[in-house]
Amino acid sequence: MDRRDFIKVAGGTVLAGTSCTYAFRFLTSSSMSDAGVDSTLAKRKWGMVINLDKCKEDCTACLEACREENNVYHDEDDRWDINWIRKVKIEGKIGSATTEKTMILLCNHCDNPPCAQVCPVQATYKREDGIVIVDHHRCIGCRYCMIACPYNARFFNFKDEEHWINPDRPKRTHGVAESCHLCAHRLDAGKMPACVEACEKIGCGALSVGDFNDPESNVSKLIADNSVKRIREDLGTEPKVYYIGL
Amino acid sequence: MKLEFTRIEGNSFEYRVMMIVFAAFAVAGALATWWVIEKGIWVTGMHNRVPWGFLIVMAIYYIGLSAGSLVISGLYGVFGKIEYKPFARIAVYVAMLFLIAGLLSIMTDQGRIDRFFVQPFVFFNLQSMFSINPMLYIGHILICILYLWALFYEKKKLTKVVATLAFGWAFCVHTGTGAIFGFGARLLYESPLLPASFVAAAMASGTALMILLIVTLFKVMDRYLDDELIFWLGRFLAITVIVVLYFLFVENAYRAYVVELRQAAVFYLFGGYHSLLFWFGLILVGLVIPLFILFNKKGGKSIRWIVLASCLVIFGVLCERYVIVIPGLIHPPELFPGMEITHSIVDEGISTYHISFLEVLQALGVMGVIGFMFGAGLKYMKLLPTEARIPKHPASADS
Repeated sequence: MDRRDFIKVAGGTVLAGTSCTYAFRFLTSSSMSDAGVDSTLAKRKWGMVINLDKCKEDCTACLEACREENNVYHDEDDRWDINWIRKVKIEGKIGSATTEKTMILLCNHCDNPPCAQVCPVQATYKREDGIVIVDHHRCIGCRYCMIACPYNARFFNFKDEEHWINPDRPKRTHGVAESCHLCAHRLDAGKMPACVEACEKIGCGALSVGDFNDPESNVSKLIADNSVKRIREDLGTEPKVYYIGL
Repeated sequence: MKLEFTRIEGNSFEYRVMMIVFAAFAVAGALATWWVIEKGIWVTGMHNRVPWGFLIVMAIYYIGLSAGSLVISGLYGVFGKIEYKPFARIAVYVAMLFLIAGLLSIMTDQGRIDRFFVQPFVFFNLQSMFSINPMLYIGHILICILYLWALFYEKKKLTKVVATLAFGWAFCVHTGTGAIFGFGARLLYESPLLPASFVAAAMASGTALMILLIVTLFKVMDRYLDDELIFWLGRFLAITVIVVLYFLFVENAYRAYVVELRQAAVFYLFGGYHSLLFWFGLILVGLVIPLFILFNKKGGKSIRWIVLASCLVIFGVLCERYVIVIPGLIHPPELFPGMEITHSIVDEGISTYHISFLEVLQALGVMGVIGFMFGAGLKYMKLLPTEARIPKHPASADS
């Protein structure tokens, strides 16, 4: 084989390899889209606004509602306990004064989700309406998404849940990752997420979910009328959970 | 001078004991893995704040150890140092085994091992380092098989082409493995230097392993080995050790210099038992003492001292792999810069992790599998020559 033939063969191989890769990627990515889900999804962009000034310090209604709705595993040992939504107290100093806040943390449903970027099997993906979700039937349990999430919002099913509270929601075996999916099943059915509903039920109304693409939606108005912050905006992940009073 | 490669008989008592021990390790590892699959990964001690443990440490360690082939194929296949031809076969075979070990470790670490054989190949994600790397490993294993075939059948031109390919591919493998962490979101992971320093540490550990294996095998089999070949590898090892030290210095100096990373740097360097591993295991025992040995007039010209230095480097790089993976997870991501989380229902602060007995068994199991394959390779394949000496006429040696 002379040099010219070698270049032909090598070039052809590279071209064929690249084409096959992209063709395969195109085919597999099409299977990742939200087949069977309403095509109007793309028109929406779900997100959340949390008014910390309205949140009661010792209230756990949203946490309990989330656990019950989604069969979120509970373990007595907090190392293996799963909390799709959690409350923390943060403390900072402004001059000599100490400020303390109660925060609600959950998946930020980032527009640039690092968890979806690193998932080797595309089990974690962003729906067209912006909800970041895990396909538990595809997840191989590598836990790279937990490493990549800068918000500690990802959890792993280390153990099997024996007590399933909500029989309408699917069971998950041990060995897969999970996080808040903004109760996508409820939003698709025209209902509010369980945490938002529970918060409203007790009269707090600290949590609001809505469509950021709609300028008339509750969340768009809240953002327009208030000073809002997002957690670690500097990371470029474009979180879709906004905080009033942070 | 034509090299004559031979098998070993494999009938000795020592050989049989070695094979039984490796098989026992493999069985113990398989049983431990079955237990973990059955009960869930929590039995290994990993948890939501430290979701990667000893198996990931061992996976990247094994992958790094395969770099011995990179060095030998670089010397022989790419740079034409024909005196290293005697070691080409064993280097490539060992590289293949350690790549298999790396893949096995990653596989046994998955939450759903049953899906590991299908999903990553059907739904691969070109944006994910964890998706790209297994493809690089499998590609390297295939290249090693082709390389071995070319070496066994003395295909000179093909050997040169495949050696060059293997050399370049190995760089991608080690860079990619380092990138799993270097391109990560954790304070102690994120570093563009990490993939490069991973390559350097891989070359150091790979060279050290080759020295240890070659000297041991030639001694046990009572075959002639030219000391000068090992002296040169010893000098090369010293250079790789210096490069590793340099990268470690720059990386940690950067962390200590940049204000937002300073607190993480203090934690990394002085914050727990991982700091002991860093200073004593890696820096002192794994790098500085070997350097003194290798640059010492007597040590650099003594096979025993070079082997000792190699053992220390192999240990040191294991510590280096540990301090890449674990401290970065124990140290929490900074959610609220300038503020402190004073209360939470989950662990938000500095976490803890201890290697569990089950993880050690799993890692030993992987060693058992490749150890058994190594023993079988020596018995059934002509991996080593009857002698390895520097040819007086290099042109005649490549035949």
